[in-house]
Amino acid sequence: MQLDQHRAGEALIVTPLEDRLDARVATDFKERMTELIASGHAKIVLDLSKVEFIDSSGLGAIVSSLKRMGGRGELVVCGLQETTMTLFKLTRMDRVFQIFDSEQQAVSALGGERG
Amino acid sequence: MSIRRLEQDPGPDSGTRRHVALTVSAFQDAIRHHARYSLGKKWERCSGHELFMAVAFAVRDALVDRMLDTEDRYQQVDPKRLHYLSMEFLLGQSLRNNLSNLGMLDPCREALRTMGVDLDEVLEGESEAALGNGGLGRLAACFLDSLATMGMPGYGYGINYEYGLFKQTIDSGYQREKPDNWMARGNPWQIERPDEACIVPVYGRVEHGIDRTGGYNPMWMDWKIIIGVPHDMPIVGHGGNTVNVLRLYSARSSEEFDMQIFNEGDYLKAVEQQIASETISKVLYPADSIEAGRELRLLQEYLLVACTLRDIVRRYSKSHDTFDQFASKVAIQLNDTHPALAVAELMRMLVDEHALPWETAWEMTQATLSYTNHTLMPEALEKWSVSLLEAVLPRHLQIIYEINRRFLAQVASMWPRDHERLRRMSLIEEGQQKQVRMVNLALVGSHAVNGVSTLHTQLVRTHLAPDFSQLWPDKFSTKTNGVTPRRWLLQANPLLSDLISNTIGNGWITDLEKLRALEPSTQDADFRQAFMAMKRVNKVRLARLIYDTGRVVVSPDALFDVHVKRIHEYKRQLLNIMQIVHQYLCIIQDGQEPPVPRVYIFAGKAAPGYWTAKQIIKLVTSVGQVINNDPRVKGLIKVVFLPDYRVSLAEQIVPAADVNQQISMAGTEASGTGSMKFAMNGAVIVGTYDGANIEIMQEVGEDNIFLFGLQVEAVRQMRERGSYHPRDYYHRNPHIRRLMDAFGSNLFCPNQPGLFRWIGEQVLDHGDPYFHLADLEAYIDTQNRVAQTFKDPADWACKAIFNVARIGKFSSDRAIAEYAREIWNIKSIL
Repeated sequence: MQLDQHRAGEALIVTPLEDRLDARVATDFKERMTELIASGHAKIVLDLSKVEFIDSSGLGAIVSSLKRMGGRGELVVCGLQETTMTLFKLTRMDRVFQIFDSEQQAVSALGGERG
Repeated sequence: MSIRRLEQDPGPDSGTRRHVALTVSAFQDAIRHHARYSLGKKWERCSGHELFMAVAFAVRDALVDRMLDTEDRYQQVDPKRLHYLSMEFLLGQSLRNNLSNLGMLDPCREALRTMGVDLDEVLEGESEAALGNGGLGRLAACFLDSLATMGMPGYGYGINYEYGLFKQTIDSGYQREKPDNWMARGNPWQIERPDEACIVPVYGRVEHGIDRTGGYNPMWMDWKIIIGVPHDMPIVGHGGNTVNVLRLYSARSSEEFDMQIFNEGDYLKAVEQQIASETISKVLYPADSIEAGRELRLLQEYLLVACTLRDIVRRYSKSHDTFDQFASKVAIQLNDTHPALAVAELMRMLVDEHALPWETAWEMTQATLSYTNHTLMPEALEKWSVSLLEAVLPRHLQIIYEINRRFLAQVASMWPRDHERLRRMSLIEEGQQKQVRMVNLALVGSHAVNGVSTLHTQLVRTHLAPDFSQLWPDKFSTKTNGVTPRRWLLQANPLLSDLISNTIGNGWITDLEKLRALEPSTQDADFRQAFMAMKRVNKVRLARLIYDTGRVVVSPDALFDVHVKRIHEYKRQLLNIMQIVHQYLCIIQDGQEPPVPRVYIFAGKAAPGYWTAKQIIKLVTSVGQVINNDPRVKGLIKVVFLPDYRVSLAEQIVPAADVNQQISMAGTEASGTGSMKFAMNGAVIVGTYDGANIEIMQEVGEDNIFLFGLQVEAVRQMRERGSYHPRDYYHRNPHIRRLMDAFGSNLFCPNQPGLFRWIGEQVLDHGDPYFHLADLEAYIDTQNRVAQTFKDPADWACKAIFNVARIGKFSSDRAIAEYAREIWNIKSIL
C-alpha cells in the first residue's frame, strides 16, 4: 500500500493513499505503522482524508498501532470522511482516539508546529 | 407542456401546488413516450407486459411529482413523522390502485381504448408484490393507504424480498410451491437509491477496552458488513394530494469481495460470500416456519432495523443539530415483534455513536417506539438464543443485558423478594439454552403497546403480559384493525361502489361511517333488488373463475360460502370440512337435502413445512372431488379450492361472497381483517367469539351476523380443568361419530387408503387442541340457520346491506386516526 509521510514539528503525519483501508491492505498497513513506531516516532497524526471506507480489519490495524505505542507516545487521527467517521463511532473508537478535523488542528494539539 | 408532464401546473399563485387531472391525449403521449424512451419500442409493438410497463411509467411520473411536492410540504412544516417498521407489506398489484387514487382511472382507460388497448388486460399484466404472508402484511399496506389518504407524514420501512410468498399450485390435490420471482420482469414502481445505502455491521466481538478518560469502552470489532440499498415505492393517497414513501431495503455485499479470502486465492469462496450477503433479502419467510434458517431470519430483521434507524436519524439530523427534539419529531411503530431489535439498535446508536448518556437515550428510545402485538400463539412469540445473538450482534446482546439489569432492578424495588415475577419479566429466559424474549424487549422499550381488537388486547393484558400490564397499566391500549375501503370496496367492487355512491354520494370513500346513510335503503325493495343483482354479477364472474381454474361448474344462484385465509389449524378449516361432510352424509345416507344449494369456496396457502396444514388442503380437494362428482348430491353442495390465494384473487372472491367463515378457536385470532373486507362487500359473517368478530357483531347487530361456539373463558376453563374430552362428543353424538368414521374409512381417499386417518388420531386420540368437536354441534346448527335465512332473499338482502352500512368502524382510516391521536401524536399536513 502507499503511505505518504512527512514531519510537522515533532509530529509525523502519516497519510494512507488508498480509498479503502480494508483486509487487502490492513496487514501491510499495520506492519508499516509498527516500523514507524519502532523507529522512535512518538507523536503520529494519522491523516485518513483519502480513505473513503475502512473495514473492521482496517480499524483493527489502527487500534493495534495505538497499542504498539504502549502509552509512550500519542497517535491521533484527522480528516475522517463521513462514512469513516460513522465506522469509528460505531465501534466506539472515537472514544479511544483523539479525532481532529484537519491535520493542522491535530498537529497543534500534539504541541507541534505545522512544518 | 412537456410531453412527459401529465398535468398542467395550476400556476404560481397556488402556493403548494395542487395537481389537476390530466387529459386523455396527455396520457397517450406519456405512454408512447415511455414505450419509446424507457423500453426502446414503438408502442404498437409492445407486448402485453411492455404495455403495462409503459402505462405504469406514465403513472409513476405523476406519482413522483406529487411525492416531491409532498416532501417539500413536510419540510416546510417539519412535522413529527411516523415510521412504520414491518417485515411484511402485502401490497398486491399497484397500477389500478394508483390510477384510482390519482383519479386517473377513467382518462387512462379512455386513452388506452382509443389506442386499441383494453386497460383491464394491461392491469392483469402486473406481477403482485406478495411481500407478506397474510393479515399482518396486508394491514401494513392498508395503513400506508390511509396515512397517505389522510395527508399524514408516515413512511413504511420493509425488506425488498427478491422472492415474495411462494406461488401455490395444486397437483393431485396437494399443494406445490413455486418461487415467486416477482421482480424478474422489472418493477416500474421502485426507485433505487444507491446513494442512500446503509452500512450494516454484523458478527464480530466486543473488546472490553478503556477510553481516553479511563472509562469502560466496549468496542465492537471484527464485524462483517452488509449494505442495505433502499428502494422507494411511492404510496399515493386517495385524491392524489399526498404521496408518501414505502422504503424497502435490499441486501448487497460490501463493494468488493472479501479481499482476505480473495488474496488467499480462493476466488470461488469470495464469490460465495458475496452471494451469501445478498441472500439476506432474497426470500420472504413463510409464517410458521421460523425454525428453518433462523440465523438468516435474524439477519433480515436486523437489516430492516439498522437501515431504518440510520435513515431516520439521517433525516432528523438534516434539520436538527441536537437530539433534544428527537422524540417530538420521530415516532416508530413496530408491527409485531419482528423489528423489536429496534430497542437495542436505537440505544446503541444513541449511546455509542452519538455519545448520549444511557438514561437520556433510554428515555428517548421509549418515547419514540411503540409496539403492536399481533399474536398470542406461543410458538409465534419470537425468541433468539443468547448464543446466536452473541455471534451475530454481540454489542446488542450486551445492551440487552444492561436494559434487563436496570429493568429488573426497577421491578425488584417494587416487588421485593418476588423472584418468580423477576423470572417471568426478565428479557432473558433461563434454561438449558438461554434465550432473549423479544416480546419482553418490545414491551419494555416502548411507551405504548397495543392489541389489534378489544378481545385480543384484553388477552394481552391478562395472559401474554399480565406482569407488565400491572406495572404499566396505561401503556396498553386497543387499536382495532381496519382495512382500506379504497382497495377493498371502491376498486374491488365497482358495481357496489357505484350503487352506494348513486344512493348516498361518494363521501364514504374517505369517511366510511357515512355508509350508515344506507340503512334506510334496507326497506327499499328496489335498492335490495339492485344490491342482489350486483352480488349476482360478481358471483357470475367468480363462477367463471372457478370453472377456469378447476373445471367445476357452480351456479351463481347457490349460496357462496367462502373460507379464505392462510391454512392453519387454529383457523379451523377442518371444522368447516367436518360440517360439509356432515351435510354430505345427510344427503346420501339420510336423504335430507339442504335448504339451499351451497358452494363452499376455500383458498389459502400452507407454510411449506407445516404438514397438517398441507394435509388439510389435500382433504379439502379430496372431499370436493368426491362430493362434486357424486350424482346423489345433485349439485346441492359443491366444494372448490381456488389455488394461489393472493391479494388479486381476494379482490375477486370478496365481492362475490354471500357468507364468510371466521371460525378460529376463541382466543387464537388476534383480529382477523378478512371479515371486515367481506362485511364491507355485503357478505354475512359466520364466526366464533374471537378476534374482531365480537366488535363486528356490536356494529352490524346480532341479527346480521351468525356467531356461535365456545367463548374464550369457557375454552380456558375447559383446558385448565382438563374437562374437554373429544371422545365424549364422538360417543354421544351419532352425527359426529358418523363423520369422524367417514374420515377414518377411505370414503374420501379410495386410492390412498388411510390417508385421512390422521384426523381421528389428532382429534380423538391427541386431545384436539383446537376444540373442533366442542364447537361442531353449534356450528352445524348455525350453518343450517344460515341456509334457512338465505331462502328468503329480502331478509338476506337486508342483512347483507346492514353489514355494508354499519362497517364504517373497520376502515383503516379510523384505526390510523386512533394511532395518530393516541400513540404517534402526528397530524395531517395538507
